Amino acid sequence: MSSGKAVLEVNGVVKRFGGIIAVNKVSFKVYEGEILGLIGPNGAGKTTLFNCITGVYTPEEGHVVFLGQEITGLQPHIIAQKGILRTWQKVRPFKKMTVLDTVTVGALLRIKSVRKAREKAAEILRFIGMPEEKFDVLGREITLIEHKLVDLARALATGPKLLLLDEVAAGLRPHEMEELANVLRKINKEKGLTMIVVEHVMRFVMGLSNRLIVMHEGQKIAEGKPEEIANDPRVIEAYLGTKPL
Amino acid sequence: MGWGEWISESKRYIIGTLVLGGLLALVPFAINFDMYYLLILSTALLYGVYVVAWNIIGGYAGQLDLAAFAYIGLGGIVAAELFTIYGVTPWVGMFVGAGVAMILAAAIGYPTFRFGIKDVWYALMSAALVVILNNIFHLPELLGSLDHYLPSKYGWMYLRFPTYENLYWFVTVTLVVAMLINLKISHSKTGYYLRAIREDELAAEALGIDVRKYKLLALMMYAGILGFMGYVSIVIQGTYSYHTFDSPNSITIAIMGIIGGLGSIAGAFTSAVTLKIIGEYLRSTLGASIPGIHLLIYGLLLIIVGIFKPDGLAGVWVSLKKKFVKKNVRGEKK
Repeated sequence: MSSGKAVLEVNGVVKRFGGIIAVNKVSFKVYEGEILGLIGPNGAGKTTLFNCITGVYTPEEGHVVFLGQEITGLQPHIIAQKGILRTWQKVRPFKKMTVLDTVTVGALLRIKSVRKAREKAAEILRFIGMPEEKFDVLGREITLIEHKLVDLARALATGPKLLLLDEVAAGLRPHEMEELANVLRKINKEKGLTMIVVEHVMRFVMGLSNRLIVMHEGQKIAEGKPEEIANDPRVIEAYLGTKPL
Repeated sequence: MGWGEWISESKRYIIGTLVLGGLLALVPFAINFDMYYLLILSTALLYGVYVVAWNIIGGYAGQLDLAAFAYIGLGGIVAAELFTIYGVTPWVGMFVGAGVAMILAAAIGYPTFRFGIKDVWYALMSAALVVILNNIFHLPELLGSLDHYLPSKYGWMYLRFPTYENLYWFVTVTLVVAMLINLKISHSKTGYYLRAIREDELAAEALGIDVRKYKLLALMMYAGILGFMGYVSIVIQGTYSYHTFDSPNSITIAIMGIIGGLGSIAGAFTSAVTLKIIGEYLRSTLGASIPGIHLLIYGLLLIIVGIFKPDGLAGVWVSLKKKFVKKNVRGEKK
């Protein structure tokens, strides 16, 4: 995997909140076409790191380079226009818009004509497996898994080059997680889309990612293939505490 | 979206709007050109224009703007002063008034959106704008405490007439234009983006939408329409003064927009016209014994809508349609 070119490079990013260092000199690369898992216990700084990449926060130190271009500290909408899209830990639906309209908003980023954007939105919705009868349903009337799919679809509709998924599996039942994982694999395979997946649910992220990064208390403590990570003593310690003697 | 695509996709709504305009234009014949009713109807349709304009910033962009009469007053006074002092025809003055209102909107909107003022803070700030302008124009160097009269010139050139039917028709035409502008926005990229901003600003931004730019655009379009209509408001009032910056009626416009249903053009129109007519009727019948009764009714309606139908009149219509036509119904017009 690591033979491809780097889509995203994060170099020594630091983000503080008052006296707390939420992200402490984190560096990593994401290569074209891979699914990178980003894991760590609560408060490890995963979401803060996400927000530093997507422009919600400006890091105090370090650089974020996307496709060879420095994007540190740019505004969120400009970063999205450059091709980094995200989904949210807590779904942020457009409640009073229909599913199709919601995804059309995403498609309009690159397509001028509303009619063509709606066609593109419908195509994306079909691709991720949303049933046609849901297209005209309002955002407030759909289930959680459908919300996650719509969130994903409206990000995909913008034609992203890198997709950041913040705890997509949170709150889902096991068979729904499996459904979602399959959709993500399909997107990765058929569209060749590079992804970073922040996740709590171990089984979900282990099965999905090509490579994993582990964060603990703001620092990167491990990086490697899922099976290496699973047996890394530092990771086990971070998650479960020190092994009893 | 291109014009051709817009016309072909929204044909039904465009024809509907034009038919509505045609029917409204026939009303004076039905009421035998009764001056009193024509005055009330002209005012009601004028409020229709205001609320349809408010729908852009309040309904699509979701900003609870309470500054309607800041823009109406400024645009109107600019046109009226140009007419009174320099003899400039209102046909030019109204466009200048619209321009000045848009400049004010830009001057207020840019820092407001730049520093992320929203929700209740935006509402308060916009309400304050009316009060501030009211005070500024009260200065002796500007309008002072006096009522100012337009010059006694009549005819289409000055949009002033001894009777009301011509003014009524003018307002009808502007209402149709305002509704078509709304329709065009609603079906364009701007409309989709504004609705997304209304629903969730953070999510909209993360989809690549320049939230500030689009909010400012919505505010300026709203201010432009209101500024343009300001002169008509003054013609109906007969005079202008610092009172033209009218806080209670600015709030009334927002209330009408909310009762109509955010983002619904038909809802905005229906709500404005019926509430204004009911309000005028109550004022003329009970106004002497119970002053302010119409405001009480608006308040009660707002509470009822808030509790039972948060989507306003448009929501009532959608749920009725759902009841009788058993199929998927869109919450927002396509």
